[in-house]
Amino acid sequence: MNPLLDRLSSEFLPRFLSGLAVNFEIAGIAIALGLVCGILLAMARVYGGAVGAAAATMIALMRAAPTFVVMFFLLNVIPRNASLFGVPLVLSGVMAVALSLLPYAAAYIADAGVEALQQLRRGSPLGSLLFLPNVTRAFFVLVMSSSAGAAIGVPEGIAIILRQAEQLPSLGDKLALFAVGIVFFGIPLQAGFAVMSLFQRRLSRAVMRNREAASLQRS
Amino acid sequence: MIALARLLAGILAIAACVLLASPLPAAEDPSPDAALTRLLQEQRTALPGACAQPRLDRLTSILCSGKIRIGVRDYYPLFGTRTGETREGYEIDVARAIAAKLGVDVVFERVNAASRIPMLADDRIDLAIATMGHNTQRDREVRFIRPHYYQSETTLVGARDLAVADWKDVAGRTICVTVGNGSNAELVSRGARLMLFDEAVMLPDRLRDQTCTLAAQDDSFFAFYFTEPGFADRFSQKLGFAQVPWGMAVARTGSERLGRALDLISQIFHRDGVFLDTARANRVGTGFLERQRAVWHQPECNTAAGSTNPACVLPALSAALQPTGLADSVTAFEDWLASSTGIDLLLPMLKTVPAWSLFWSGVVNSLVLVIGTLAATLVLALVLGTALSSRFSLLRWGARGLTITLQSSPIVLTLVIAAAILHAMFTYSSSVALVAAIPALGLSNGANAGQAISEAIVTVRAERAALHMDRIELFSRALGRSATQIVAFLINAAKGTPIASFIGAPELLSALTDITSFSSGRVTTYSLLLIFYTAVVMVVVWACGKFRSFLERSHVPA
Repeated sequence: MNPLLDRLSSEFLPRFLSGLAVNFEIAGIAIALGLVCGILLAMARVYGGAVGAAAATMIALMRAAPTFVVMFFLLNVIPRNASLFGVPLVLSGVMAVALSLLPYAAAYIADAGVEALQQLRRGSPLGSLLFLPNVTRAFFVLVMSSSAGAAIGVPEGIAIILRQAEQLPSLGDKLALFAVGIVFFGIPLQAGFAVMSLFQRRLSRAVMRNREAASLQRS
Repeated sequence: MIALARLLAGILAIAACVLLASPLPAAEDPSPDAALTRLLQEQRTALPGACAQPRLDRLTSILCSGKIRIGVRDYYPLFGTRTGETREGYEIDVARAIAAKLGVDVVFERVNAASRIPMLADDRIDLAIATMGHNTQRDREVRFIRPHYYQSETTLVGARDLAVADWKDVAGRTICVTVGNGSNAELVSRGARLMLFDEAVMLPDRLRDQTCTLAAQDDSFFAFYFTEPGFADRFSQKLGFAQVPWGMAVARTGSERLGRALDLISQIFHRDGVFLDTARANRVGTGFLERQRAVWHQPECNTAAGSTNPACVLPALSAALQPTGLADSVTAFEDWLASSTGIDLLLPMLKTVPAWSLFWSGVVNSLVLVIGTLAATLVLALVLGTALSSRFSLLRWGARGLTITLQSSPIVLTLVIAAAILHAMFTYSSSVALVAAIPALGLSNGANAGQAISEAIVTVRAERAALHMDRIELFSRALGRSATQIVAFLINAAKGTPIASFIGAPELLSALTDITSFSSGRVTTYSLLLIFYTAVVMVVVWACGKFRSFLERSHVPA
């Protein structure tokens, strides 16, 4: 039997897969919250004037805020006994990571949203649909970024791998285990990007065909 | 004649008997037992008249009331626990033994870490026996009883099969600790990274669910958990450090005689093994008590003055951190801000020398890390971009494989891999972690930027196939075309630098986590951290914007 497989505990694979599910859960929460905030910011930005300027400043600040620092900021600044409208606010590790990804998600979606709204104004609904692959791309980036949770003890995929690696004696075994992690993270990421590229290409072709048909009609 | 001789002999015999029977001005019994008896007798003979006098010493008031109020912990397993009206534990039994020695009843009062000193000062308890470490800071607030009744140390607990034998095995590992624990500074100085928790009670659970591979806390805290078979089977104590003597304490004022009586009782209890037997009965560690019993058996210590003999008693732990020259001004500023605006700003990083040193080196290391990462990202982007668009298929496919691998690896994992490789070659140090972080962050972002450059090269090459451009011009035009992407990944690289703290790079996040582990002001500290990094990234965004304009201007006609 492979010495690495021999050393891996029988619980490793199910734990790792459940950890990977935590990565997707974090990314899901972040993208959902990011959509709400990002679309509002995009609408404010397109609205223009003082509101637009305030939204632009907000987007710039959110874009500049490092996720890892935001995570530690949230964990240390929100009081343990905080409440919102009388409801206790207990910040779990998963929620802390998801909220730390929110500035990135919201800024990215706001940028993509502004572009989509401008496409709509130009009379290109298909062009505005490019918003969807952009959001999906952001989701996969968030899945990868959610591994920051390992630093605060969130049992996501990378944390499970690192715990297992601590039990392995040699660098070779550790590197082999890390390679397993890269493969498991890489497959959904690369597949997701490939599907999105395909979707984006088809959408672009449809946009081009639409424009050509419109110009033909005009002529 | 014979009668006279008999008379003289009788007189001499009577004189001898009188001399033998009469009290000589002999030396006082120097034993602690005699000193205690004398002290208690003096107090008792003054009763009950002394009870009506104002400003009694607490010993007198205890003897007057026949009760001693002792502050104890309600939930500190093995030391002081309460189930309904039943209290048990080492400290509870010590409290009962002291009351019995004084000949009074004991009244237990609940105290915790925050209330035990104020309750002594407010005369709500006469004595605290409540897991209180004796340090120089507390010496100013209460009067500690010498000799100490226990000594704890910080113990490092981890899975039994985890190979941690000494400090060199600790460097680079993440250790779960509680905020404010005095031994955190020692762990930091040994190269450990800290994961902070508010309550010690969370640590055993985090060890069980493998969130923590190592946890540091008082051995007295873990002693209870090691009595559980499930815990003891899985975990073991790896290292012990930062010994702290535990002291019973009385109020600083009005307790001179009570303190003296308790000093003597404590000496006697050590010498006679009362502390030791009580500890054994409560399954508390006895190593310290066994050593102390030997000390208090020594003739030079077993005297009424033994508790003031530096050769016999342990010193208080020195807990004070050296203040900076600015400490007073910073405190004054904090007070002024709080009183004038209500804003509770705390700046621990400016008040003590160790915190300032960590803070300053954290700022410098963060800037080094940001600049190094930007440079590494740019260089690796150029190298990978060239390789990805190379006409040599072996080089091209190799670069493509590396790019896909780096894109598929979460940044935390890439950092850990870089650190693992470097640690296999060099002894762990924070500098090695810093050096590992720069290429890891550079590779991660450089791979994406390199891909953008290679895609630009392909398009420029296709568009200008007929123009026979030299390689430098082709590359230069591709750079101009991919400037936006390059800049985006440079900004991303700068934003990612705080993650380097995960592998122990001593940047500002790492430094401030260490500072807050042994001082207060977490809210201010992490707010400043967020402002610092956001400002750094905004400067990088501005500088990258200039760089992009330069790249694009260089090839406008392209």
